[in-house]
Amino acid sequence: MSWEQTIVDSLKKADVSLISYVPDHSIGKVTSIIEKDSFFQLVPATREEEAIGIAVGGYAVGKKAAVFMQTSGFGNSVNAIATLCVPARAPIPMFINMRGGPGEFNISQVAMGKITNPIMDMLGIVNYTIDDEFKMDQLIDGALKLCFANRQPVGICLTSLLHGGKSV
Amino acid sequence: MFRFDATKLILSKLDNQPIVANLGPTSDELWHAEHRDRNFYTYGNMGLCSSIALGMSLSSNEKIISLDGDGSLLMNLGTLATINRENPKNLIVLVYDNEMWGQTGRQATHTSTGTELVEVAQGCGIEKTQLVDDLESLSEVFDRALTEDGPWFIVAKIDETDYLPVPTPEPEFTLYRFRNSFM
Repeated sequence: MSWEQTIVDSLKKADVSLISYVPDHSIGKVTSIIEKDSFFQLVPATREEEAIGIAVGGYAVGKKAAVFMQTSGFGNSVNAIATLCVPARAPIPMFINMRGGPGEFNISQVAMGKITNPIMDMLGIVNYTIDDEFKMDQLIDGALKLCFANRQPVGICLTSLLHGGKSV
Repeated sequence: MFRFDATKLILSKLDNQPIVANLGPTSDELWHAEHRDRNFYTYGNMGLCSSIALGMSLSSNEKIISLDGDGSLLMNLGTLATINRENPKNLIVLVYDNEMWGQTGRQATHTSTGTELVEVAQGCGIEKTQLVDDLESLSEVFDRALTEDGPWFIVAKIDETDYLPVPTPEPEFTLYRFRNSFM
């Protein structure tokens, strides 16, 4: 099974139906599946911290919600995560496309890519990095279970080794 | 028109509909007016009040009320475009516009220098909009917003006054209580 289909299947198994996101080249392979599936409600946001707010709103009325973004968008959303998700214990799974890794062509993406995991570590947010499809289904199923049990966000970081990255 | 009076007026018209309140005095005054499980107080989530309410409206059939502020909304004007794109019929955004960043020393915001939030919302495509500057007009338009499909975007020009005591922040309990009322 493809990595993008694995993510979609795990979200459905965990009953995560509200997906808020800012478009991204690699994440687009997942959202293009999701937008054709009536199980999901897919909400494009104008900025990643807005996506966090929308997801927390969905969770607050009883749904489960996830966000998709790339590392630059994670930078945009740090205050929303630190002031809303962490103190309110809002369990929002964050699927993050890791820019700035092997094969990166854009100098501007490297610094934010390098500090994304350390920022999550400093915030106390559990985060996983996925480089290949080996046991990926178990890892994402487990990450989602932990996220809702712990009632805190979880970072699921998808690298260019997994999805091929962006070439230009 | 004072914000506390406006908030008490809104509460008097509601049954158990959820309210999301902007950080600072808007949340504090909502707490003092009527502390209820379905009040979602925000603490420090600058600009996210109406985005949180949007997420609620997309996941619930109930009317959702956002009590936003001019300073906060100016940080996240893009959410007005998202509200129009998603077009939730059950969302009412009420912006208390005091034309200042009240929490940081009452510095003048951009709505004091010609930015018209109602026109921004209209430019984003939101059709049900209204600017009000007294309680009577607010009462009339809010009655319509409760009965007619939205999304609604209402700007209430308010006068600033002394702040009420700040209740103890309790974001974890706020979310827990609020969510449990839907389960």
